[in-house]
Formats: sequence, C-alpha cells, structure tokens
Amino acid sequence: MTLTIAHLYPDLLNLYGDIGNVKTIVKRCQWRGIDVCTVPIVGDEKIRFDRIDLAVLGGGSDREQLLVRDKLLARKRELAAYVEDGGAVLAVCGGYQLLGSWYKTKEETIEGLQILDVQTETGDGRLIGNVVIENDAFGTIVGFENHGGRTFINGHTPLGRVLAGCGNNGQDGTEGVIWRNVVATYLHGSLLPKNPRLCDHIIRSMLLRRGVSEELAPLDDTLELEAHRYIEERTLRRK
Amino acid sequence: MRKAVAVMAAKLAEAAAKTVGRHGSSLPGVVALKICPDILRRFAEEIGEIVVVLGTNGKTTTNNMTADIFEGLGRSAVCNRIGSNLLGGVAAAFIDAASPVGTIKKDVACLEIDEAYAHIVLSYLHPSGIAVTNVFRDQMDRYGEIDTTIEQLRIALEKAPDAKLILNADDPLTASLGVGRKNTVYYGISEDLGAQPGETRDGRYCRLCGTELTYAYRQYGQLGDYRCEGCGFSRPTPQVEGVRVSLGDRASFDVNGTHVDLPCRGIYNVYNALAAFALAESCGVPREAIAAGLGRFRGQVGRMEEFTIGGKTVVFNLAKNPAGMDRSIGNVLADTRTKDVVIGINDNDADGNDVSWLWDAEFEKLNDPTVCGYCVTGIRAKDMAVRLKYCDLAPERIAVFDSVRDAVLKAVRGQGERVYVIVNYTMLLSTEKILRALEEESK
Repeated sequence: MTLTIAHLYPDLLNLYGDIGNVKTIVKRCQWRGIDVCTVPIVGDEKIRFDRIDLAVLGGGSDREQLLVRDKLLARKRELAAYVEDGGAVLAVCGGYQLLGSWYKTKEETIEGLQILDVQTETGDGRLIGNVVIENDAFGTIVGFENHGGRTFINGHTPLGRVLAGCGNNGQDGTEGVIWRNVVATYLHGSLLPKNPRLCDHIIRSMLLRRGVSEELAPLDDTLELEAHRYIEERTLRRK
Repeated sequence: MRKAVAVMAAKLAEAAAKTVGRHGSSLPGVVALKICPDILRRFAEEIGEIVVVLGTNGKTTTNNMTADIFEGLGRSAVCNRIGSNLLGGVAAAFIDAASPVGTIKKDVACLEIDEAYAHIVLSYLHPSGIAVTNVFRDQMDRYGEIDTTIEQLRIALEKAPDAKLILNADDPLTASLGVGRKNTVYYGISEDLGAQPGETRDGRYCRLCGTELTYAYRQYGQLGDYRCEGCGFSRPTPQVEGVRVSLGDRASFDVNGTHVDLPCRGIYNVYNALAAFALAESCGVPREAIAAGLGRFRGQVGRMEEFTIGGKTVVFNLAKNPAGMDRSIGNVLADTRTKDVVIGINDNDADGNDVSWLWDAEFEKLNDPTVCGYCVTGIRAKDMAVRLKYCDLAPERIAVFDSVRDAVLKAVRGQGERVYVIVNYTMLLSTEKILRALEEESK
C-alpha cells in the first residue's frame, strides 16, 4: 500500500515554503516504513480523487489563486465527495480561503469552492507575525501568519484558540478550521515540521481511511519539539 | 545651513555610538534625515554622476564592483559599500563622504537601494544609470510576494525616466521592466553553461500574458534563454554580452571582445560583473579600465570571503533567501573537497521574521558524501536543525550552537578539508568579526 499525496498546483501555490509540509509528511512516513509518493498536479491534469490520500493546497499571489480556483471549480463536486468520504486535505493560507464560500476584496467578490462554511474579507493592512494556538488534542501549535484576508468560520471548529498572534480575523480568537479530515490554516512556518503531533494526526487519518488502524510507530521528535518550544516561549513572552 | 547642522549632528551621533561599541551603519543617516528630510536632494546637487543598483540579490557586490571601477580611474566615489540600503543607509553613505559641515568633494555616487525605498530616493536624486540585477522572492513578510517587488521597481523606475536602464536580459522578471522603455541596455550570458538549474519557483510565467515560458536552457532559477509562445516576449539580445564563461575557483569571461578575470567565483558574480560592466560603460568608462577594475575587486563582507583558520580555508557567504541559499549550496557542492558546513539563521526584521523560506531552499543537496559535518547557529538555529533533519541527516550529525564562534571552531576541527560558513543578513558583520578574530588567533 502506498499513500499518495497530491500536491495541488505547486507551481502556482507555493508562496511561503509550504512545500515543507509535504517534505515533513513524506519523511515521517518513510521513517516508519510507510510507502508514500507525491504527485504534483499542474496545469489541466486530472485529479483522480479516488486515488489520493491527501490533497495539499498552499497559498499564492492573488493572481495565482484565481487561476487555481478556476481549475478547481470544475472539480468542485469530486472534491466535496472526497472530503465527505474522509479524504484528507491540508490547506494553507490562500488554499484555506479557496475552500470557503467566498473571498471579498475591495473590488470584487470571488466565489470559493464551498467545501467549508467560511467567508473571507480583505481588511486594512495585513496580519503578520508569529502565532501560538492551542488545540485540545495536539497541544500548542506554532506558526507564522501573513494574510490580508480576515476569515470568519461560523460554527466550524477552529484548528486552535489563539494564545498569541491574530489568527483567522484578529477578533474572535480562533485560528484555522479543522473539519472531518480537512486541516485549514493561515499558519506557515512551515506548519508541520515544528508540529509533529499535528503531522502524525494527518498521517493517521490517511491510514485509517485505508483501513490501517495500527498505532503509528513513535519517532524521536527531540529536535522538532526543541524548535517548537523555543518559538512558542519567545512568542508568548513578547506578546 | 540645515544640511550642515544635519551632517554635524549625524557625525556626532556616529562618534557617540562608536564609543559605546555600536556600529549601526545607517544611524548617522537616520539622524540627518530627521533634521533635514530632503538632505539627499542637497547632497545630490554636489555630485556630478550618480548610478544606482536595484534588485533582489547581488546589489552590494554589483555596487561595490562599480565603485571600484570608478576608483580605479582615480575618481572618488560615495558608496554604501556595506549594503545599508534603506533611506538612512543611503544618507549615511553621503554623510560618511562629507566634511563635518556637509560638503562633498566626491565626483560620483554609487548607491544600492532597497526596492521598497527606491521610489523615495529617486525623487531626490537623478541617476544617469540604474541597474536592476534580478528579481527573486526575498523577505516574504516584508513584501508579500514577487508581484509586489516588481511593482515597487516599476514605480521607482518611473521616477527616473531619463536614466539609462541596465537590465539583466537573462531574468524574464527583470527584463520585463524594460518593455516600452527607451534608453535600455541589457546584459546577460549568451551561452548554456550546462548548470544544474534547480527549481524555478517564481517567474515561470510571462509577465505580459501569463503563459508559461519555454527555455532553450536555464542558468539558475528563472534565468536563462526564455521565450513566451503566447505573446512572443523573449530574452532580449544583450548589448553587454558575456561569453566564454569559465567557472572554477575564480570566474572569468569575455564581454564584447574584452577579457575579464574575476578574483571571485560563482555564476552570480559573473552576472554581477556584467551588470557593473554595463553600468560603468554607460558612464563612458573604457572597457579595458572596467576589466582592470573588476580584476582588482575585493568582495564585500560575506560574499565568498576566505579566511584561514587552524590551517583550513574557511569560505564565508551570505544567503538571505532561497535563491541565494541555493547558490551557496551550489558553491559548497561545486567544491569537490570534503568540507564541514556551518549555517547561521537569524529572524530579525532585516532578515525577515518568517523562516518558512528555509523549506524552499534545497538543503537536501547538502546531504552529500563530501559534507562531513553540520553545525547550525543563529537565533533560529533550532529551526535550521529541523530543516537538516528532514534532509535525512541523523540528529547526531547536527550540532546546535548558541555561539557562532563555537560553531565555527567545531567545524574547523571537523573531518573536512575546508569549512563553509553560510549566514543570513543580520549575522553578517558579527560573524565576519568572529572569523577575523579566529584567523588572527590561529596565526
């Protein structure tokens, strides 16, 4: 069995080192002897949602995001069915916004993929800085945000409660969304290297969907946790 | 009068700072601007010729090469040599060259300017030539994205419609700035160097019509011989054309019949030299004089500077974004000797607070049989350690140091024949001091 990660439009949506998330998942699988492959989806290639275990969507410039949205709109129903079936998705920044209902800029309202019940509006200035959030299952999650959009998540469960930083909109103390096996967030960093528990959660959700329910072999996360602790402590201290 | 006061205050402030051991290179400039906000305009009035260098990577080297060329002719240059390129840094370069009452007796100014501030500086001074080296993604949390960088450059260039624009023909992003503009000189390398170009990341799509560019060959990143099948935009034939390029411990090339031997290495230094060549030539400097100036060029801090410590050559390089880091990694691997590597990463404002960029650089290539040991240091050393771990390097092989000095010493005592030290921007001067001190101690 090989887990397949579809990296959607890495040529258009790779603004912030988010490829680090793919690298982290791949290594943490390989180190456990789990076969994994990454398939970049570019141009007008078909996405075989029945053959993938994780779809990764990064962020891009406004122009690039619009291009991606148009390509994905054509596959909205398949993507929705995939998510309904428990398919895993990791969406960062622009990818997160794209999954929502719409994105409103000063000039126009851009329709999203309507997978998540979230709406985004551009605000004044950008929300930029180190972020620490808290999730009941994963503990603290650290990352770096840089977004002009303010996202409101209605009844969705956030990825975490903001301890430092702005999060989804700088107002309601939430960051990201976690729903079914979709993890959506504004956090770069990259996100997964310093948050191994979250990474393993994503790997576990992929395996469970394939009928593999054994515990994941633990890895020595000393370096990751030291890096996590350093930036968490410093960010909380300086807030 | 106000200018004289500003310069006096600035020089006093600088002297005061030095007595308490602070060497902020733009402090005097910041002080002067507070007292005399248009001081740049007043300084510019006293200078006969001004040239400016913009772009993501290579500004400092290109600017220093240009200043060296002028000084080789016996002309004196105002130059922000260390690379302080925000408003205060540019002003500080003039103050440094000025008398205590602010008169300047230099006849040329060579200035590198940060793209976000270029439009302001260019409203005060009117250069005869502006070179743009390249456009790469840089400090993302300051600029947002590459579209922003290009837009900032475009706005800046609009302030100087009469300046001769010197552009890197091989970079489609930079070359696009020349579209519709007269008085443009292009430089480039007109042969396939057979490099391993790595990823493109940005600039794959035509700036004019959005179609993906096709390449006859790529040198590195998005640089190469490109063409857009959508609208016909293609690499302009450079008027300043580098050929017979030889890359080794020292680079050399021919340009328009003149041979240039550089005392430094790396393809990007060939590009920097071509930019300086074109800029100096646009000011009327004869080719032979340019070649001589380039041949004597002593690199600035952290641009492949070499030290000898404990009997080993230690090569020191600055890398502040993925493109620069990939070039540094390329240098490490191009050297077939065994080596230990020290990587230092800070996340101060001038570095960019977001270290996500580390995941865009191809550190995987450092997992190579010729690399014996890995030391990481700097404020975000722990992030760099994680980055290396995910290149399949065993944690035991990655040594984390708070102290840069300890990191370098460990590397010098390693198994490799050489040491490569790569740091990002705010670590530059302090690391250079440490390397110099270690070199002295080991004599």
